[in-house]
Amino acid sequence: MRPIFVLLRKDFANFFRNKAAVSLTFIVPFVMIYLFGQIFGVNRKDSGPTGIPLAVVNAGDHPAAAKLVAALKAEKSFRVISEFTNPDGTKRPLAEADLKPAMQAPGAPYRFALVLPADLVGAGSLGLKLRIFSNPRNEIETQTVNGMLQKTIFTNVPQLLGESLQANARRFLGDEKFQAFNGGIAQAVARGFGGDPAAIQRAIESGDFGAAAFGNAAGTGNSNPTADFFARIVKIESVQVVGANVKSPAATGIVGGWAIQFLLFALSASATSLFRERDAGIFQRILAAPVTRSQILWSKFAYGVLLGIFQLMVLFCAGRLLFGIEVEQHVVRLLVVCAFAAAACTSFGMLLAAVSPNAEAASGLATFLIMTMSSLGGAWFPISLMPEFIQQFSKLTLVYWSMEGFSAVLWAGQSFVQLLPILGILGGITTAVMALAIWRFNRSRIFD
Amino acid sequence: MLQLANVTKRYGNLVAVDGISLEIRRGECFGLLGPNGAGKSTTMSLIAGLRVPDAGSISLDGQSLVAGRADLRLALGLVPQHVALYTELSAEQNLRIFGELYGLRGAELRARIDEALAAVQLTDRRRDLVKTYSGGMARRLNLVAALLHRPKVLLCDEPTVGVDPQSRNAIFEYLERLSREGLTIIYSTHYMEEATRLCSRIGIVDHGKLHALGTLDELLARLPFEEEIRFPADAVTAPFAAALRPHGELTTAENAHRFRPAAAYKLSAFFALAESHGLPGRLFTSQRPTLEAVFLHLTGRSLRE
Repeated sequence: MRPIFVLLRKDFANFFRNKAAVSLTFIVPFVMIYLFGQIFGVNRKDSGPTGIPLAVVNAGDHPAAAKLVAALKAEKSFRVISEFTNPDGTKRPLAEADLKPAMQAPGAPYRFALVLPADLVGAGSLGLKLRIFSNPRNEIETQTVNGMLQKTIFTNVPQLLGESLQANARRFLGDEKFQAFNGGIAQAVARGFGGDPAAIQRAIESGDFGAAAFGNAAGTGNSNPTADFFARIVKIESVQVVGANVKSPAATGIVGGWAIQFLLFALSASATSLFRERDAGIFQRILAAPVTRSQILWSKFAYGVLLGIFQLMVLFCAGRLLFGIEVEQHVVRLLVVCAFAAAACTSFGMLLAAVSPNAEAASGLATFLIMTMSSLGGAWFPISLMPEFIQQFSKLTLVYWSMEGFSAVLWAGQSFVQLLPILGILGGITTAVMALAIWRFNRSRIFD
Repeated sequence: MLQLANVTKRYGNLVAVDGISLEIRRGECFGLLGPNGAGKSTTMSLIAGLRVPDAGSISLDGQSLVAGRADLRLALGLVPQHVALYTELSAEQNLRIFGELYGLRGAELRARIDEALAAVQLTDRRRDLVKTYSGGMARRLNLVAALLHRPKVLLCDEPTVGVDPQSRNAIFEYLERLSREGLTIIYSTHYMEEATRLCSRIGIVDHGKLHALGTLDELLARLPFEEEIRFPADAVTAPFAAALRPHGELTTAENAHRFRPAAAYKLSAFFALAESHGLPGRLFTSQRPTLEAVFLHLTGRSLRE
């Protein structure tokens, strides 16, 4: 055992001398975790994208269009551009003709534009007329922008729909019947809920059903009574059955995913150090002493597992500081899962070193496999975003099972007994991969 | 003390060591001389227990080294051909690691480290990272790292490759001191000057075979000539060189002819022939033959080929 301990200490001394290795192991993943935490809005009430440039052309003078522009300007997701700057520096309202040239130009100032035409609420058809110009270079961004636009329109100016309905009703019924119809409804509302029938009729004719029916009359104080109206039509009750008490749900996945990915990088680098030691002739010197090949390999394995536990715990503690992940309640179970995950990752690194002819080949293979396993295993994004047939491969990766383990502890708060299946799978991966690595090492010339 | 009996090692079809048998005596400095690829490093690694011979036996004081017994490994110290040190660690950290691998610890280990660093004049740089050392300093540290556990036999596998003359001299002086103190040294090299200076006995190896074994005088005595005469190789001396060929060995390298006269050929005849070709006596230098000549004589090729 003593040679293993001596070699282990040597590896740690070497590691802490190597600033690049320390940086890759702790600082880089810390930065990535922070960045992805921000991207996914961990712990932010206003999660989602911010400041996407959106050109808005208001071609008419409809008051609801002005209200929609104001609502878009108030939305943090967008930075609304509604003016065109002439070459002489003067400004004028943006026109529809300005959009295409600007969006097709190199370094376009915006990739999305919304045109509110003069006939926004058309008299000839039901609904609103909107035109959206886009340069969908980034599909995710395009979908996000479309979704955000729809949300803004339907939550802030739904009375436009009402107004559209009213305009069409007026066209079909004629003024007299239209007035009589709305007057009847206003009287009925006033009888049922109170209020001035004339004011209610004016609200109905403007298309603002919410204010008419519930807002002012019910006196809810809601700043957006029409949205409130729609919310009352469809009632959704949400019940969270797992992790209801977890303060930082998204962070557990982000920290676990990035931590395991960088652990794989760190341990692959550690395993490929076998080549450097071989090339420097150090194995000759060590093996000339009373030290066996097995002791060298097990010292590397022990080093990888200890470094892995250390790295994972440091990054989860960083997650505690950054996102409030509740680590302290689960320290012992988290340590056990980290140990099993680190062992699986170490065995992976050892296998890479065993099957590769040199450090460069091992490094290239490691990068390819780690990126593949990380994306498939759910370290970058939820695996449910991937096609179903690809999701089947996720379960073949140690990244997936490591993240399952972290999630089981930090998200679901599972007991040791409940963790056993995941630990068994990680243990099985370690045993199988390590056995394969040792078999390959015995046939390779790494110690020659 | 150390015996190799008919030791053979193959790598596929290549016979790296081909039936070498020799005995190294206690306290001697034994040289293994041969060109690159001759089988020296493989022989050293077989003795050090890094590889297992395909045939033959290696024993130290009658005990087989092939079995890899820990106590026998403690009797050997290996100085690898490369600077086998952790360059990101200090000299002291390196020595501590290698000392501990040989079972040293505590005050004894500290004392050995102090002693080793002092012996190679690195005490002042003990806490500096090895990567900041000059090539010569790293080589000196590489040497003493093999001596911490005080082995009975020191195996030096070309320990001066790439070393400047000053550092090489420092290493030689240290090895000479160790040899005087009674340490058994096996020194492999392809520099005949190193073998000549350090070794009391020399084995000449090529293509895995031991071609000759003995002291410098014994090896030189194998030559059929006692003198080696050099003269410039140019158009003026060309007819003379051609006329000499039947009377001994004539080789040409680096713009110079080297002539080793056959036993029956008298020097007086040589100079008479030179005079007949109008060549003055100042063109010729005579010297005692070297191990290079022995190697050439035995293998038919130069050590540098």
